[in-house]
Amino acid sequence: MTGSLISLRGVGRSFGATQALADVDLDLHAGVIGLLGPNGAGKTTLLRLLATALPPSRGKVRVLGRDVEVLAERTEIRRRLGYLPQEVGFPRGFTAFAFVDYIALLKEWADPAARHAEVRRVLDQVGLSDAATKRIRAMSGGQRRRVALAQALLGSPPVLILDEPTTGVDPEQRVTLRTVLAELARTSIVVLSTHQTEDVAALCERVVVLDRGRVRYDGAVTDLVDRAAGRVWLADQPDPAATVSWRTGTGRYRNVAAEARDDVEHVEPSLEDAYLLLRGDRSGTGIVTR
Amino acid sequence: MTGWHLDDETLRRYVERIDSVAEGASVEQHVVTCERCRARVNTAAVAVDLAVVDLDAVWDRTRDAVEIPRPSVFERLLSAVGLPAHEARLVAVASAFRGVWLIGVAAVIAFAALAAKIGDTDEVWFFLAVAPAAPCLLVAVSYDRRWDPALEPEVVTPYPALRLVLLRTTAVLALALPAVLLLGLVVPGQTPFVWLLPALGFVAVVLAASTWISPPNAAATVSVAWLLAVWLVKRAHSPTVVLEARIQVAFLVLAAASFCIFVVRAHHLSQLRPRR
Repeated sequence: MTGSLISLRGVGRSFGATQALADVDLDLHAGVIGLLGPNGAGKTTLLRLLATALPPSRGKVRVLGRDVEVLAERTEIRRRLGYLPQEVGFPRGFTAFAFVDYIALLKEWADPAARHAEVRRVLDQVGLSDAATKRIRAMSGGQRRRVALAQALLGSPPVLILDEPTTGVDPEQRVTLRTVLAELARTSIVVLSTHQTEDVAALCERVVVLDRGRVRYDGAVTDLVDRAAGRVWLADQPDPAATVSWRTGTGRYRNVAAEARDDVEHVEPSLEDAYLLLRGDRSGTGIVTR
Repeated sequence: MTGWHLDDETLRRYVERIDSVAEGASVEQHVVTCERCRARVNTAAVAVDLAVVDLDAVWDRTRDAVEIPRPSVFERLLSAVGLPAHEARLVAVASAFRGVWLIGVAAVIAFAALAAKIGDTDEVWFFLAVAPAAPCLLVAVSYDRRWDPALEPEVVTPYPALRLVLLRTTAVLALALPAVLLLGLVVPGQTPFVWLLPALGFVAVVLAASTWISPPNAAATVSVAWLLAVWLVKRAHSPTVVLEARIQVAFLVLAAASFCIFVVRAHHLSQLRPRR
């Protein structure tokens, strides 16, 4: 496919004998793309490849038409990239302002007035303007996560790579962050990984599901949800035929099955149902694409 | 209300916003209660085309005063010797410049120097063994993941890793070499100076090795190798053997060769850039 902002061709990444990613082909366009998958599926490895934090063992990764393997092109990518890693450590004694200011320096914001204004803008954006002078070590987990996100937003980059951006963030802030990301997605490509299917459902048009280093689904969120139509129902007991069942807050059991059923009380499937169905479905031949 | 009013010069400085914070606060406190001076301020503001106060600018200045971290002593020192302010910040952030590291390394060197002063030849050898290792250990911790926890976001910034490493290394050397030299002055004979070239050579080896392995591992390997070499040599020679021209030239060659390897392989730099 042409015109993609990010493209991967036959990309693989190994760590010693462990293959974290294998034969990944993707073309990603502007908008918010969600990455779903269990722990160890390769989500973080894929995001680190896209963020130029890690080189691929095999294949070709291009971001904004530039090759991540070529030093000069990699630097150009980094000028247009915001990256939130899964785990961010903070230098001892730093305030939120000082940390984001430090990353801004590394992002070539040399002019103090412009840099400070930008630092304030991103701290405002993540709702931390009142905590700018607070030491990061004294912050809650959610606040620290927002500080880390703020540094990724510096310069409103056209490519935003976010590894679990809403982890530890309270529901109100999650809604705020979704609004921020949706706004950014008007002009940027946002690739985010998460375990929160509701974040993907709320934000993303497209979802990529990874499992054991391979792409198991790549397509529209609505298409994935549609695959679960007629396969989700409520019952008083867990159904043995269901792939997964769990007790809901009403005391009834939500059953999700690979086979459609007619004789049951169907409910509207969610993305989580569809994801669980996909994860539980081992009969398929592999990748399901649009 | 007193009979005191703003004089023309104070008024002008206030309206043109070139007064001090204390002076401005004093003026503001006065004009709150003095209608006459308030009117004069308004008139003067119109005269200098400042009728509308730029509240955003005032607020930004206030936030600047509160939010922008004050530069550390070391950062101010770097700026004073000509490093641009933003690069001085990038250098001073390194873990190696935190007090605990500096005090720890200084204590070890001081102990070694004191032992050499009051002891016999064995203690001089001890000083020789410790002094060159200290700068290369400091360099190693100045850009390593374990002591630089914000590394992952740093890795993907466009700032050149090579420049950052060289700036931090130079700063470490500028700090460590005179300090070790000063502490070593208590050591008898020429011993205080013989470690300089070995130290430079080891720092260069650590930089070069950092393109394959982590900097602390490189520094640890170099230090252990040096300690072993000192232990082997001391059995048959006096400390002055290190002063021989051929030995000093060998360390110079080691430094130059290692630095060349580092520059050529800089894009493979471990930790500050992706592992290959």
